[in-house]
Amino acid sequence: MSGNKAQLEERQPNANTLLPPSRVRTIMKSSMDTGLITNEVLFLMTKCTEMFVQHLAREAHAKHGGGDTLKYEQLSQLVNKEKNLEFLLQIVPEKIRVYQFKEMLRLNRSRDGDDDDDDDDDDDSGSGSESEE
Amino acid sequence: MVERIEDLNLPNTVIARLIKESLPDSANVSKEARAAIARAASVFAIFVTSSSTALAHKQNHKTITAKDILQTLAELDFESFVPSLTQDLEAYRKMVKDKKESKANKKEASTNDNANASEAVVEEATE
Repeated sequence: MSGNKAQLEERQPNANTLLPPSRVRTIMKSSMDTGLITNEVLFLMTKCTEMFVQHLAREAHAKHGGGDTLKYEQLSQLVNKEKNLEFLLQIVPEKIRVYQFKEMLRLNRSRDGDDDDDDDDDDDSGSGSESEE
Repeated sequence: MVERIEDLNLPNTVIARLIKESLPDSANVSKEARAAIARAASVFAIFVTSSSTALAHKQNHKTITAKDILQTLAELDFESFVPSLTQDLEAYRKMVKDKKESKANKKEASTNDNANASEAVVEEATE
């Protein structure tokens, strides 16, 4: 996080926003009973969402391989690693291959006898398994 | 309030521009990465809003303030955003104040002099 301090210091204070505040207001309103939203709060939220977008892109690119193209995998790796991005785990999940998924199911099934605490997974694997004959 | 789920999406072009600005000039962004960042940004806004609302309610305030948001960001481990945002907020407050003052000045001018007033109106329209 402190790695991009230099970049942050170069930044000039800016009273303009790129993202449309009206859309940000809609998003804010969708969350709980947000009362009145003042223009100042709306500005700040728009601005910090913009900063978040850039933070995400910069960190994913810098910390996970760089390269010419920012790829989804770099983002999901970042989300998986950084504690303050935990809230995105279900939004930007790591991709897995079908064979890896099958392997997970198989492991789950072989653990079957020992513990009961993942009933749901077992049910899934039951319905997901193809008829082997 | 939100009629369609797309109403929560942020515009792709702006997101693409923001991402480009933060990467080296030569870098590209895959479509999938851009879409994921756009989704993440919406969720981030909701996350910060609900956390700030909770913070405001805890202090028996009904509406959230700029201070609530800054404090929430620090609590959510985004304190690196706070200094820049504080500066931006100051710039924003100054802009709003300047706008108000220049409007007041124009009004004053218009009561003093009718010719000036029509000029001010033209100016305002072209802004």
